[in-house]
Amino acid sequence: MQIKVNGQAVEIFSGARVRDALRKYSRAEWKLVQKNEKIVCDGRGHPVGLDGELNGGEELLIAVCAVPEGRS
Amino acid sequence: MKRTVAKGLPACLGLSLLLCVFALASCAGRTPAPAPLAQPDETRIVIFHSNDIHGKIDNFAKVAAIIDAERKGGADVFYFCAGDNFTGNPVIDQYVPPGEPMLELLNRVGLDLLCPGNHEFDYGLEHLRTFAARARFAFISANITAADGLFPQLRPSFLLKGKSGVRIAVFGLIQIEAGNGLPSTHPDKVKGLAFSEPLARALEMKKLRAGSDVLIALTHIGYEDDLKLAGRMPELDVIIGGHSHTRVDTAETINRVLVAQAGSDNRFLGRVELRVRNGRVIEKKGTLIDLKVPLAEAADVKDMILRFNQNPAFARVLAEAPFVIEGKDALGSLMTDALRQAHGLDIAFQNGGGIRLNRLPEKITLKDIYTLDPFGNQVVQFAMSAAEIRGLVTASFAKGNDIDLQVSGLSYVVRTDSERHITEILLRAADGAPLAEDKKFQVGVSSYVASSYDFKHEDPGRALGSTTAEALIRFLESRPDLSVYRGIQRAVQDPPAPSRPY
Repeated sequence: MQIKVNGQAVEIFSGARVRDALRKYSRAEWKLVQKNEKIVCDGRGHPVGLDGELNGGEELLIAVCAVPEGRS
Repeated sequence: MKRTVAKGLPACLGLSLLLCVFALASCAGRTPAPAPLAQPDETRIVIFHSNDIHGKIDNFAKVAAIIDAERKGGADVFYFCAGDNFTGNPVIDQYVPPGEPMLELLNRVGLDLLCPGNHEFDYGLEHLRTFAARARFAFISANITAADGLFPQLRPSFLLKGKSGVRIAVFGLIQIEAGNGLPSTHPDKVKGLAFSEPLARALEMKKLRAGSDVLIALTHIGYEDDLKLAGRMPELDVIIGGHSHTRVDTAETINRVLVAQAGSDNRFLGRVELRVRNGRVIEKKGTLIDLKVPLAEAADVKDMILRFNQNPAFARVLAEAPFVIEGKDALGSLMTDALRQAHGLDIAFQNGGGIRLNRLPEKITLKDIYTLDPFGNQVVQFAMSAAEIRGLVTASFAKGNDIDLQVSGLSYVVRTDSERHITEILLRAADGAPLAEDKKFQVGVSSYVASSYDFKHEDPGRALGSTTAEALIRFLESRPDLSVYRGIQRAVQDPPAPSRPY
């Protein structure tokens, strides 16, 4: 199935999760997300969890956030 | 508060009420103050909601305290779950019976409705049926059809009535994959069930509007499809969703339908508030309560969580080996044999970085397996040619100019020149013959390898609905001959790397 990450098409296996799509998209970006320096949002700007299950055609955005997920 | 159910009241819900009342006495510490009462001719309805908890139980004491406190107020209060309570925390998944802590906690907190998600089926349908029989809440999904007796607790929808008399109709929906029309779990886990396309099925549920004051879809189809549903079905008042783990801090209104989702892993509790007057919703809003900050906790639930986290099953001995199994070659061979057997694959690979122990003791416990393989990676299957397999081995070798992938179902030799550049990769089938070049092999790898390794594959691949650790547990429980793992080496570099004896 195809997912878009930051506007770029990523081909990934069916049943993939958000973390799989990010690793496929960019190791560097994935590391920043792992370090809570960036968050992942859906196409409407809502944060999504890294284990969120993806359907083909979905869109993800990697964004810098003032209060990243996991920090309170 | 008193709750009644207009149709098909399970006896369990009555007991739930008693437990909730009893539990009020056991809450300790600060609790959020209940909101003010609605106007006399209005009803205020508060629906708390969770989704994709995935066995993360630690915040349930806060959830219980919040819901208990709200029930002291004047509103009609309900608690819904939009699916995927299991899979994601070995403490819960390996409990005996699996998932038992989730059942006890959801019963205690007073869950009213559960829309099963794809991971509700991960322990098998028989387990889910037993789970449902002991649940003090109802299971709803409109796009699942079960043969007689297969899942008797499941119904398409449910009509709830609060003490105010307002009628709330709720139907459930589960996601299905485009390819096989099944939810994302192993197909064997849903044998005997039929699934229909969720959005089409939802439109048939418009009929519920006639007999209700409030119409809600409780879904496990992902936020994007929830938005599509809202666009097509303005008869709905609210959609409470799950599956995509979307954190919707303030619920969106699309086509007059409020769409809410509460992230994942019990880090947030969703709260939808409705004001109903003369059988019509006149105001609605949805917010999230952050459970990561200090909040009052229900003492009895805190005790339950402490007890569950000391899961005695982790000390269970899965298998006894005739010797300590040590080194990446032996451990990787064991792990890949397990993958291959669990899923009927021709070949399986395991990356070196995913082998997190140097040795397994003679008495191998459940804890050892989750230490060896702690990442929760899924098993992913590809149909691959010998050339594609060579490409995968090349990509793995390039990571450190060394053997990385352990293997089952074949052996391989990576030949390199004096500068350790690959000159040739020899693949041999299990019988020692060269691997057929004109055939496709069913190959299993972890989701980490599938997404992180840069290799070409014509088949896009598919996740098989279980983790690599689960495959290993099943393999060890099948009492394999573990003596074969002494001195085993299936992946070889020629000439050998300086640090690796040939």
